[in-house]
Amino acid sequence: MGTINVSKKYTAKEKAYLPAILIGMKITMKRFIQGFLFRKHDTIMYPEKKRDYSDRFRGMHFISVDKNKTENCTACYLCETICPAECIHIVADERDEEHNPYGVKKEKKPVSFDIDALRCCFCGFCEEACPKDAIKLSGNYELAVSSREEAIYDLDHLKRDMNGRREK
Amino acid sequence: MSNITEFDIKKPKVDLNYASDKKPVHSDPNPEAKPLPKVTIDGKTYDFKPGDTIMQVAERYKVHEEIPRYCYHPGMPIAGTCRMCTVEVEKAPKLMTSCSTPAADGMVVHTRSDKVMKSRTGVMEFLLTNHPLDCPVCDKAGECELQDYNYEYGPGTSNFKEEKRVFEHATTKKLSDKVTLNMNRCVHCERCVRFTDDVTKTNDLVMVNRGWHKELEATTEAGLTNEYQGCLTDFCPVGALTWNDFRFKKRSWFLNRKPSLCDGCSKGCNIEVHSDSEIVYRYVPIYNELVNGHWMCDAGRSSYTSYTNPLRVIAPLMKHNDALHSTSIQTLLTDLQVHLKNAASIQLVVGTDATREEAALLKEKVPTIIGKNIAVSYFNGTNGVQTSADDKKLDELLKMKDLTPNTKGVEEQGLSPLANGEVNADIAILFRNGRAGIPKMKADQKVVLWGIWSQDELKSFPSKNILGVIAGLATIEKEGSYKNADGIVQKFHPAITHKGGALSAHQVVGVWKTLN
Ligand code: SF4
Ligand code: SF4
Ligand code: SF4
Ligand code: SF4
Ligand code: FES
Repeated sequence: MGTINVSKKYTAKEKAYLPAILIGMKITMKRFIQGFLFRKHDTIMYPEKKRDYSDRFRGMHFISVDKNKTENCTACYLCETICPAECIHIVADERDEEHNPYGVKKEKKPVSFDIDALRCCFCGFCEEACPKDAIKLSGNYELAVSSREEAIYDLDHLKRDMNGRREK
Repeated sequence: MSNITEFDIKKPKVDLNYASDKKPVHSDPNPEAKPLPKVTIDGKTYDFKPGDTIMQVAERYKVHEEIPRYCYHPGMPIAGTCRMCTVEVEKAPKLMTSCSTPAADGMVVHTRSDKVMKSRTGVMEFLLTNHPLDCPVCDKAGECELQDYNYEYGPGTSNFKEEKRVFEHATTKKLSDKVTLNMNRCVHCERCVRFTDDVTKTNDLVMVNRGWHKELEATTEAGLTNEYQGCLTDFCPVGALTWNDFRFKKRSWFLNRKPSLCDGCSKGCNIEVHSDSEIVYRYVPIYNELVNGHWMCDAGRSSYTSYTNPLRVIAPLMKHNDALHSTSIQTLLTDLQVHLKNAASIQLVVGTDATREEAALLKEKVPTIIGKNIAVSYFNGTNGVQTSADDKKLDELLKMKDLTPNTKGVEEQGLSPLANGEVNADIAILFRNGRAGIPKMKADQKVVLWGIWSQDELKSFPSKNILGVIAGLATIEKEGSYKNADGIVQKFHPAITHKGGALSAHQVVGVWKTLN
């Protein structure tokens, strides 16, 4: 098999170069006038201003809590089982009786619950698998950290106060 | 029963015991004389032994996967109460329970006809009316017969719109410190009741009330007291009875399952080691007609904890300035060799928890490597047992007095028991795997410890007396064979991989040889 040549011949207009440059200049000028004179921008002043994503955006995980600030998670391991990136690590135990006014409903609890966000691919399977609506992906897209350890979300971090799917 | 006395537990050469209660349903005085009767199941004809029930014939020939069952268990008397196992028998007016109907010559059986499937769906729907379906927190999930059968036969939807029945007082009821009952999940198969009535004969469980209110209760205030409670949690088809040690520790589908042997007593029960990432979570018994049947005792079931004990020594330790420090096996053995060469007399004591192979190796190789005449003897020291003659059954079922697995196997190597159970030499090398006792000794006895030792056990020696500790492997981590109290030799293979610095006796001897 030989090589197939997919390049095409330049047209006369393309060969002249100047028309293309003028079209480009026209766009630049249009944006300049819109932005400078009429204050109409396509970019925003991040981080002072933040973009609003749809509620379906999948960002940093959190675990929902009930009104007593007890996590809804019952350590069923379904999220750990489904996670394709194998980045959830749970250790479960029995909730001791004095901290369990819920009876059999919340007798099992996670002792530790770690999500390695560096491995996570934000597929949202964990949220879908969870029978208790406990683990969820928030709208928070600011995932930058200054060390690898910080990228491992533990139970304390996951149980942070949320406003729906948005960070408070 | 065949007269096999030696087998590999990976492939035990035993026929399956299908006769519940070990009694045939009806016995033929001379079964061999006549040609075997025939029964047709799902279009194929099979020979069967007179006395077999339909389920047993189907099981023997593996007709389909399995006839679903709740109340039937091969180790217990037949109850025929759950109606899950019904099959269609031609010319019979109604569906028959295959667990309790004896097969007859010329019988034609359909195990998966429409009528049968409809009946199974009905049974499933009734069982699920009150079932809490809290599978996410239920320890049985993944190995639950209710889940499995519902997946295969269940209706998928329910017509039950009423409030589910809840046993408020028995949702998390500790029947003993080993077993927890969640009555809401019970399917009333009564395997547990029959087990305590007919297998352990302790009668400690009973069903009270009827119908909607039928509830499992312990017969005494003390709750469950028998020594085989763990078995209840194995065969309870649902998560009603759960083993406290395992409760909430792991989901069953993460577990690796490998066969091994329990080394908790001289019975040598066959077990399956359930582990994940080489961490053991539980032992469960596997069926071996010649040794343990379907069961194992609670002490054996919990015995893995001494191997997962964080205080277990898992690296070679060497004495330096009267304290023990971890080191490499080469350094340790070089150092020990100097001590041993200078000693006036050396004694090697092999615990009766050594495998047959280890006992033979130690007896042969250690004296030649050290290059001295060494007195080699064995020591048991559990429950006052000295030799296998002192061993006896502690109950009707499995438990033995001798708490080490291989007394007979070690005796077979021609070793003699340690005189008076006391060591008496310049240096004593004590080889044991955490099960045999520690012999008596004088206050300044120098010792070399080999095998499985915990920090607590090391504390029982003055620290200047320990010349070194050679960390060894546990039964579940190594290969070998044990000869049990009944003279049956059972070979086993590693069920998990040891992740620490302990070495098998063969590896240690191999290194030791190269140092000379
Ligand atoms: S979003 Fe996907 S990859 Fe990330 S933790 Fe959940 S299941 Fe795992
Ligand atoms: S699936 Fe939900 S309830 Fe189950 S362990 Fe994960 S977060 Fe917890
Ligand atoms: S017994 Fe079976 S079906 Fe019932 S909650 Fe447990 S796992 Fe689920
Ligand atoms: S507790 Fe388990 S074994 Fe006992 S009757 Fe209920 S389901 Fe059957
Ligand atoms: S298994 Fe036959 S009736 Fe229960």
